[in-house]
Amino acid sequence: MARTLLEIKDLSTGFITEGGIVKAVDGVSLTVETGQTVCVVGESGSGKSVTSLTVMRLSEYDGGQILGGEVWFQGENLLTKSQKEMRRIRGKRISMIFQEPMNALNPVFTVGDQIAEVVRMHERVTRDAAWARAVEMLRLVGIPEPVLRARQYPHELSGGMCQRVVIAMALVCHPELVIADEPTTALDVTVQAQILDLLRDLQQKFGTAIMLITHDMGVAAEMADRIAVMYAGIIVEEGTVEQIFERPHHPYTIGLLKSIPGFEGERGTELYTIRGNIPNLARLPSGCRFHPRCPFATDRCRQESPPLRKLDEGRKVACWYAEDVAAGRVTGAVTGMDVESTEAVPAELSPGDGQTAVRGAAK
Amino acid sequence: MTEYLLRRILQSIVVLFLVTVFMFALVHAAPGGPTHVLLGPGMSPEAMKIQEHNMGLDQPLPLQYLHWLKDMLTGNFGYTFKNHIPINTIIWPTVGNTLILMGAAWVLSLIIAIPWGIYNSTKTYGISDNVATVIAYLGFAIPSFWFGILLQEYFSLKLNWFPLSDMWTVGKQGDIGNLLWHMVLPVTVLALGFLAGYLKYSRASMLEVLHEDFVRTARAKGVPERWVIYRHALRNALIPVITVLGLDLPVLVGGALLTENVFNWPGMGREFVEMALAREYSVLMAITVITAVMVVLGNLLADILYAVVDPRVQLGKKGGASV
Ligand SMILES: Nc1ncnc2c1ncn2[C@@H]1O[C@H](COP(=O)(O)OP(=O)(O)OP(=O)(O)O)[C@@H](O)[C@H]1O
Ligand SMILES: [Mg+2]
Repeated sequence: MARTLLEIKDLSTGFITEGGIVKAVDGVSLTVETGQTVCVVGESGSGKSVTSLTVMRLSEYDGGQILGGEVWFQGENLLTKSQKEMRRIRGKRISMIFQEPMNALNPVFTVGDQIAEVVRMHERVTRDAAWARAVEMLRLVGIPEPVLRARQYPHELSGGMCQRVVIAMALVCHPELVIADEPTTALDVTVQAQILDLLRDLQQKFGTAIMLITHDMGVAAEMADRIAVMYAGIIVEEGTVEQIFERPHHPYTIGLLKSIPGFEGERGTELYTIRGNIPNLARLPSGCRFHPRCPFATDRCRQESPPLRKLDEGRKVACWYAEDVAAGRVTGAVTGMDVESTEAVPAELSPGDGQTAVRGAAK
Repeated sequence: MTEYLLRRILQSIVVLFLVTVFMFALVHAAPGGPTHVLLGPGMSPEAMKIQEHNMGLDQPLPLQYLHWLKDMLTGNFGYTFKNHIPINTIIWPTVGNTLILMGAAWVLSLIIAIPWGIYNSTKTYGISDNVATVIAYLGFAIPSFWFGILLQEYFSLKLNWFPLSDMWTVGKQGDIGNLLWHMVLPVTVLALGFLAGYLKYSRASMLEVLHEDFVRTARAKGVPERWVIYRHALRNALIPVITVLGLDLPVLVGGALLTENVFNWPGMGREFVEMALAREYSVLMAITVITAVMVVLGNLLADILYAVVDPRVQLGKKGGASV
């Protein structure tokens, strides 16, 4: 039943900046199957948006250059298509939901107009028929009095309402894939939950696959079938939601999980944060790009970049010591970064500790 | 929308009221008082007394103001001091002449600048964009009177393509072709001045809008690029441009002063200078009042246009932005 819908293969997208070429996406591979929800998680600046915009072939409008790779969608490589051909796919077969619903809508057109426009772009229908579809779609996304609301402008609606409009716009032509780039980040917590519920409902109804981009592991836990963890332009770990949450194999994934409020036991008083910052993409560290922040880094990590390798069924991870990290063999007393415990990694921890620990464990 | 317009009209009335009070006060605060200002020096005290009585200048000030305001509102500007010609017969033709000249230059510059600036925003630093930058630079840098004289030198005296000055050839009054022929040089001068600003402004405004999220949304919906630019972005880009146009309307009325004098164009600007030299204060006041009314009306027009283009104005959220 599950077929491959979207297959991203070794995708790279860069930007030319004053500091040199910045590879915002550096060899990303990812598969989305029909009807599935795949979450892409990672800190700000890890390249999640650029990945999704490149799939849509929209990063080119922001100065992005596709440096390599393939994006297969239903047997067609989107990267070899012209913008004109892409236009027929966008909004019709793949559509997008954006982070800031208020800014994503055009302030000078009514919301009904903006939804009906999608229909008119892709189907041969009359103006009235398109409008009726827009109103119907507004009803479906749970907007009360859709007939009235359709005639209103974005500034007359709340942020949550606007996001419902954006969702209506994305789904009105029943696309096979919806890419949602942080659809709830700009919204109140209560509204966030409603929007996620709505997305799930509509996914059931239309059988749409969702590529959901978020930096919130909690959202991923709730929505995802599969999770891909991105860091500094690459995927560092990928697996089913169970694999990622029950037995994370990459130190970065572990860090992300530990930074969810109240995720692992209630004992932790202080919220965990991964020390350090995401590196400057124009000046990446040698070896594994996570090593400066990794408590387990060894000399090997500092010199050689670990490939994304397949572990157990369906899981991929880019870490030399993934098995040891997952088994907790490099953790415990020595490093303090224990998957099982809620204790945060001590701030004074130096990479050297991790090195000894891993070596010791590896013997 | 109606509420917004009513508020705007009310504001305009208040502004006009303040302008007239100011004008009135100015005349009465001048050395020698209004008699001096309006009638000129060199009158015998007795004659002045009689005149003052005739003109109601011995009445209390508020009453005088109301009389004066009534005269102004009914277009009763009085007579020139020197020849006793009704000011109305002098002034209205000059208003018309100025509007013809400035209107032509303004419309011409808009027709060129807005599409061109928009186009350049989609192809920044291309040939077209660079040419526009040079033209805009020249427009900013060259003083209009100097440019006018330059054009006269070359196209009129040297090449003899266009007339040196005036609005009509003597004996050809009313001939549209003759008028257009006379308009070419002064309109060029004035249009270049407008063009510079509008080119830069429409380009910058469009560039800003093209980076907005909703432009990306439009693309993500599968809207063709041409529509993205001319339907989604353009209307948003025009909003600030319209504000600037509204602010420029006063220039439209008063800004032709130098050019009119260089080309001896019988408009308000030339009239103003002539009348100032002749110390015809009543005429100057009439011109000022007419100018003020036109400026306020122009701003009102811009506000209406603004409300038509930007739906957010209806709620009054941006209502204060355009004053
Ligand atoms: N138009 C652009 N020009 C230059 N660099 C860009 C551009 N867009 C993105 N980048 C760079 O690419 C990197 C990845 O950005 P991206 O927006 O994909 O991150 P993200 O994972 O979506 O983060 P966030 O959670 O903040 O949305 C960043 O370092 C950013 O500076
Ligand atoms: Mg992003």
